[in-house]
Amino acid sequence: MRLRLQVTRRLEPSASMVFFVSALSLLLAFLVSGLLFVFLGISPLEAYRVFWQGAFGSLYALSETVKRMIPLAIIGAGLAVSFQASVWNIGAEGQMLIGAIVGTWVALFSPLPPSLLLPVMFVLGFLGGALWGTFAAWCRNRLAINEIITTLMLNYVAANLVLYLILGPWKGKTVRGFAYTDPFPQEAWLTTIGTTRVPLATFLFAFLTALFCYFLLAKTTFGFELRVVGRGEKAAHLAGIPAKRVVALVLFLSGGLAGIAGVGEVSGIHHMLRHPAHISLGYGFTAIIVAWIARANPLGVLASAFLFGALMSGQDALKVAFGIPFQVMYILNGLVLFFLIASEQLLYYRVTLRVAPWGEKEDEYDRVLD
Amino acid sequence: MKRFTVGVLLVFLLCFGFVALGNTQEAKIKAGFIYVGPIGDFGWSYAHDQARRIVDDTYPWLETVYVEAVPEGEVEGVIDRLINQEGVDVVVTTSFGFMDGTLSAAQRYPDKIFFHCSGFKRAPNMATYMADFHQVYYLNGVIAGALTKSNKLGYVGAFPIPELKRHINAFALGARRVNPNAEVLVRWLQTSWYDPAGAKEAAESLIAEGADVLAFTEDSPTVVQVAAEHGLPSFGHYSPMYKFAPDFVASGQLVHWEAIYLDFFAKVYAGLYTPKNLENVDYWWLLREGAVELGADFGMPINPVFEEQLRSTIVNDPVYGETSVYDLVFTLLKAMADPEYAFSPFTGPIRDRKGNLRVSEGVRLTMDELITMEWAAEGITGAWPGEPEK
Repeated sequence: MRLRLQVTRRLEPSASMVFFVSALSLLLAFLVSGLLFVFLGISPLEAYRVFWQGAFGSLYALSETVKRMIPLAIIGAGLAVSFQASVWNIGAEGQMLIGAIVGTWVALFSPLPPSLLLPVMFVLGFLGGALWGTFAAWCRNRLAINEIITTLMLNYVAANLVLYLILGPWKGKTVRGFAYTDPFPQEAWLTTIGTTRVPLATFLFAFLTALFCYFLLAKTTFGFELRVVGRGEKAAHLAGIPAKRVVALVLFLSGGLAGIAGVGEVSGIHHMLRHPAHISLGYGFTAIIVAWIARANPLGVLASAFLFGALMSGQDALKVAFGIPFQVMYILNGLVLFFLIASEQLLYYRVTLRVAPWGEKEDEYDRVLD
Repeated sequence: MKRFTVGVLLVFLLCFGFVALGNTQEAKIKAGFIYVGPIGDFGWSYAHDQARRIVDDTYPWLETVYVEAVPEGEVEGVIDRLINQEGVDVVVTTSFGFMDGTLSAAQRYPDKIFFHCSGFKRAPNMATYMADFHQVYYLNGVIAGALTKSNKLGYVGAFPIPELKRHINAFALGARRVNPNAEVLVRWLQTSWYDPAGAKEAAESLIAEGADVLAFTEDSPTVVQVAAEHGLPSFGHYSPMYKFAPDFVASGQLVHWEAIYLDFFAKVYAGLYTPKNLENVDYWWLLREGAVELGADFGMPINPVFEEQLRSTIVNDPVYGETSVYDLVFTLLKAMADPEYAFSPFTGPIRDRKGNLRVSEGVRLTMDELITMEWAAEGITGAWPGEPEK
């Protein structure tokens, strides 16, 4: 008789299973983080308390969480759509910065009447991000260049474009030679909810985006087509689905939504264009994880974006309370990602321990570990 | 009677003691410091944090907390947390990019005190401060002008802003005081205040062009290390960089932010500074106030390794006549640290490199002219973004 650890492939993990395993891996990440706090000489319980208070403990804490959730949710919903089509858009960060650039141009240099500034900023910001994304689609469709490479590389182009603008032609007259544009006119600032710094418009837009993307995927022909493309581009092509057009539209949409998030940041938070690393706190990259954890479900993105917003906001509270080195935050994020990604195995494989009689034949479909 | 007097005295003393004790317990001040960079950068944020530790240790009634590596757009949220979560009374923000966020927070918390470094916007409860290096760079220039053999000095600058332009100008003016053939070759990083990789590349390219003495503005000791690898002298920036290349750091610029912090917090504690009267409080502290120091290390104005060479370099100075460069440095240092501010590096006549007269004979630049300086002094070569034609 032997003990056998049997690993069986699960075909489609249920929603509750996804939730349960993800929650468990988060819990484990927090437990291991506790060890890190012990090592730093901080009581883990106290650290958990500060984290919880800082992310959810008050209206203020919630508002800081939601402030971070907004760009993550808007970008994440777009990425969810693109991942469903197996289009790996890694360029949301750059598409977001292009949105910020276009929005800044409208706010500072366009001859529009003040009342039109905000709507035009968002429309053109969407188009800017969308075209930036579509360029990668063109490279894939026409030149057969993998979109992972192009979208990733275009991030650096966008970041350097921001730097060029704030150091050169757009450098502000009122900023004493520092690398910023002038502040936007008040008409180009988004109104915030009450005394918080959460912009109302983008807050509502995040929910609308999630709903829109959900219906697009689940209820429209285009959604069906893009999911078919996601399963196999050649098969889709043989079935008469214009796969290349689908790829282009998907990058247009996800790039455009990232562009909107970029306009939201400059008009809602910064009120100017500044160093790219300060405009986006890595939202375009974090949103990839957000979409992935939500299993590319746009409604699930709302939840995972909220979770990552809380993570950022709670970590701010930790930094303020304990003055711990900021690198520790990278370790905490790393732990969360490590456990979430590791839990993937548990979602798709059932692990059981059982007593096997001697001489039992191994099932050829199971991976059996002795 | 005697006993009575002693008794009265004792009662008095006791009362005083209690009052004093009561005061210290009631009037404890908590201050929160916000840094844009990591405190381990050996540059800007490191220097501010060193000063924070000193004030915290010096004043028993002061408690400090800090937050590092705060993105510029996040400063308001961090201020909120410092005030609401940690209960601080005074917020110190140490980056130009924090200016608007600090001002907005100052308006939302009218009974708290804000102290913002390097900005120009103030409020009744928001003061500003800066410790400036232009005098020290001038002295570094004097030393560099004497040390160079190629007559080419290299300068790595992070961003072409007035502060750096002022410093590079002072460096060039100092160098040409002792060596009229000296040129300053400038390379801008334009990436980040902390960019060791970029600084290394820039320093290497300056050396390749013939520069044999290096100075810089960037928040790491990289330029000092690259210069030392090539056996060239350099000048440390912000913190004591002597230890990174003891044989090659000739001198440098050192800051004592604590001079400003000690003064500021003492006045807050004494009730001189309140959330109602800071509108015109702007520290612009120099050598005279002890906010900056010339040196490779604290207490080492010139690295002894270079003393011999500087003593034996004799120049004919327009003001002090025949003198060794070593003595000239200390004469000028004394004149600039003088309470009467006997000498300013920006005393006319000074022409920019396009030939425009920037400072007329006998005139010295005002603080406002210093902090908005855009022109490039004679002897500077290389790109100079934002250089005015006239």
